[in-house]
Amino acid sequence: MTSGTAIDGNSLLEAADNFDAIELLHQLGCTDGLPAIVPTPERVEAMVLATGIDGDLSIGSMGPGGGAATIRTIAANAVMAGCIPDLMPFVLASVRAVLDPRFDLGEMQGTTHCTAPLIIANGPLSETCGIASGFGALGPGFRSNATIGRALRLCMMNIGGARPGTSDMALLGHPGKFTFCLAENEADSPLEPLHLRWGYEAEDTVVTVVGAEPPHSVLFVSGDDADSPDRLLRVLAATIANVGSNNVNMSAGAVTVVLNIDHANLLHSAGYNKSMIAEKLAEYATQDADHLNRFNPSLGRPKSGVVQALRSPDDVLVLVAGGGGLYSVVMPSWAAGPNRNSAVHARVETDQACQVPWA
Amino acid sequence: MRDGIELARLNIPVVALLTEEFWPQGDFVAQAAGMPAVPRVRLPHPVAGTGPTRMATIASDNATAIVSALTVPASP
Repeated sequence: MTSGTAIDGNSLLEAADNFDAIELLHQLGCTDGLPAIVPTPERVEAMVLATGIDGDLSIGSMGPGGGAATIRTIAANAVMAGCIPDLMPFVLASVRAVLDPRFDLGEMQGTTHCTAPLIIANGPLSETCGIASGFGALGPGFRSNATIGRALRLCMMNIGGARPGTSDMALLGHPGKFTFCLAENEADSPLEPLHLRWGYEAEDTVVTVVGAEPPHSVLFVSGDDADSPDRLLRVLAATIANVGSNNVNMSAGAVTVVLNIDHANLLHSAGYNKSMIAEKLAEYATQDADHLNRFNPSLGRPKSGVVQALRSPDDVLVLVAGGGGLYSVVMPSWAAGPNRNSAVHARVETDQACQVPWA
Repeated sequence: MRDGIELARLNIPVVALLTEEFWPQGDFVAQAAGMPAVPRVRLPHPVAGTGPTRMATIASDNATAIVSALTVPASP
């Protein structure tokens, strides 16, 4: 059996069968090390069709290699990642987001820091498309989370040209570089959805993408006293400002805070909304300079005074996800690049497809 | 590396300083940016975080090469 394989949407390779085609993708360095779905022309075209956009349209060049991110090349990588066509709008929105110059994708791909684009989905289509937001949402077992995040990574490798040790210089990397995607648990959250802060409507479906370290677990056991909410905020802030974090050492960068539903309810009951939470975290996430200098004296910071980990509350992304319990999560960031690791966002477009005449 | 390429495009003399470990990345970026011959000097690895004394030694050891790269016309 002969199976045609379209690697980048333009070149067509030949393999004897599906197994050989997968091996060929590995040999060509087109995979993340895991087996990939063979991007046959038929599969790629089905993925392109799901966008309703001309496959040859380029939505930008992707750093560090500067490859053209055409709808078809994105689609080919989405196929390889295992996406079904219904998920393609999320993949496309994620690629559009990271191509926003404010994301500093080329620089981020080349840094020695461990950072990966975290995709946060909000809005009604997130649930429709099965993007998990509850127990273990950042772990295995959820096809949409796994394949959307993987598709973006494969785009970054195959279109952006990022390869470990030559163009992706992360010293160690982190597991989220395979896939890093979840939805906010809007159905149960007492707090306003993340995408409203960008000016979208609640009925819009949106991806927010931010460069993030792996999750840092934050243990907090609530008491019944009135100080509990403030203590929770201080524990979260202390994790943000840990002495080894880039954020506190550079006083910049976005930070992602994922509240479990119980912690979110605790703060909401005390009258906090997300803006107020972010303000408190920005206020509390500090270190004394002399304390920091005991650990990293060569970074050239002032000898004394208070060092802020965050420039402003705007650098704090607060969302609600995961199961209820004792653990929330903080994800510090690289904090460098011309735009200091800013979060970006894009609407998930589903109105581009043509009307199917018989539907 | 990209800063150097952008300056070179403006016809401003430039040299990119790359440590041994980052030399392949420099080649990749230079090729991707369409300026494979942008001048660069290879430094020992690491430089960052090694202290002022070692940095001064590295600067001294490479000053001639850096000046040469800045004063010799680069091929396009």
